[in-house]
Amino acid sequence: MLKRILFAAILSGLAISLSAQGPWAQPQGKGFFKLSEWWTRFDEHFTDQGRRDPNLTTGVYNTTLYAEYGLTDRLTTIVNFPFFSRNTMNNLISEVNGEVLVDGEAINGPGDAEIAAKYTLTQRGAKVPFALSLTLGLPLGEDAGGRLGNLQLGDGEFNQLLQAHIGSSFKLGNTNAYWAALAGVNNRTQGFSDEFRWGLEGGINFAQDKLWAILRIRAVHSFFNGETAVGNTSTSLFANNMEFISPGIELNYYITPTLGVSAGAAGAVYGQLIAGSPGYSVGVFLDVK
Amino acid sequence: MKKLTPPLAILATLLFWSCIGDDFINDFVQPEIRLSAAPDSLTIDSSFQYSARYFNNVGIESDVDLEWSSSDPAVASIDQTGMVTAHALGTVDISARFDDGMNPAVASVSLHTAENPIVIVEEEPDTLVGRIETTTFYVLEGDFTLYEDLDAGTIVLSIADDYRASSALPGLYVYLTNNPNTIVNAYEIGEVDVFQGAHEYVIPDVAIDAYSHILYFCKPFTVKVGDGEIVEP
Repeated sequence: MLKRILFAAILSGLAISLSAQGPWAQPQGKGFFKLSEWWTRFDEHFTDQGRRDPNLTTGVYNTTLYAEYGLTDRLTTIVNFPFFSRNTMNNLISEVNGEVLVDGEAINGPGDAEIAAKYTLTQRGAKVPFALSLTLGLPLGEDAGGRLGNLQLGDGEFNQLLQAHIGSSFKLGNTNAYWAALAGVNNRTQGFSDEFRWGLEGGINFAQDKLWAILRIRAVHSFFNGETAVGNTSTSLFANNMEFISPGIELNYYITPTLGVSAGAAGAVYGQLIAGSPGYSVGVFLDVK
Repeated sequence: MKKLTPPLAILATLLFWSCIGDDFINDFVQPEIRLSAAPDSLTIDSSFQYSARYFNNVGIESDVDLEWSSSDPAVASIDQTGMVTAHALGTVDISARFDDGMNPAVASVSLHTAENPIVIVEEEPDTLVGRIETTTFYVLEGDFTLYEDLDAGTIVLSIADDYRASSALPGLYVYLTNNPNTIVNAYEIGEVDVFQGAHEYVIPDVAIDAYSHILYFCKPFTVKVGDGEIVEP
């Protein structure tokens, strides 16, 4: 059965700020752990023509555990698990007589998870480290809930994302800064088109190493080699072949050398078949160095 | 009592905020009265019972007390049940009217009176036409014809060769409706599975004049994609 969803866009795209983009590995036995809430609420979406059209207001809320752990100085394992996910759709009410035309509804449960391994090919301390990562998307979330099967906590497909990461840290005056870039291919199943993904990121440190401000751009381009809506009997939310370019910002503030809080936002400046409103996140993290 | 820590407070706020809200849609349509088939000629001193259906400001058929009138009661009079009686030679306009207080609706038909007992029953339109046009940024367009298949006892919605629709939109359905803003009380013809070129939908148990519009609606988005008014050729 062909699955067509918004969630692919949200989980693998606009929410990707939760995951590490750089080539740096966690030292052996060290890790980074984060509990966060990510959400978006949108009443319009990007069409297949890249234009904005209205839709019934839809909300997606993920409470997520994210963990990076260094198995060795070069091999880092990553888990991204939205253990509580909620998808809502509003009531639709007549302006003329106040009658409820369509009852709103919601579903709750675990969302799709990701597990990944990132291997840094260069030596620790290299000026321009380079890494490869393999991410597996696990379809743990409900992909066809609600009366019409259009409420979703996951995309219902198992995907494999192979990415290359490169970056470098440097000094900007007395301030620490870095840049990173990635590119990769996402092999998707269940009739979804495969994707080319890329990203750029830059971060700068303020307040005596306590505050990191990060700007990033993420993009997904479809190979358009999956199925279309023709002949599809599913009434899921969004079509296959979604695309976007999404700038975002994230602030991470270290309250102590290991404990911190973060906040971020990301939206799409270009998109096809994805939500038309930004996603936001707040979280608390442990950086075990 | 312990205070909520900031992360828990934020989480609690978000969970509260994630409740199901309300969206509003302007589903107003101009109220309409549709007169049923009637003779265009009536013999003097004979009578005919008119009937009519009233569709309110959201396109739903409602029982209301229509106000019947004749433009010349000396030629033909009509009572408030819609019973018309011919009295003299001439032509009159028979009207049915209803005002919900804001949106008056009226329908009229001409009636001739005759000395000879000839009654010509006005034929129902058996073919109607229209054009489907998108109301979104998804491609949707094409001409259509709605006609009766008297042998099969059905009506047929025939979409013309110039039709094309975006295949990117899942859950696209086509309806017959009296309110092109919603699918409430609409007749669901079926899910769209042809996205280009001519094709037909056979529709049983529906009168050809029962609905005013064809509506294309995306169920998952709960949003109208396009429509076409059904009109006489």
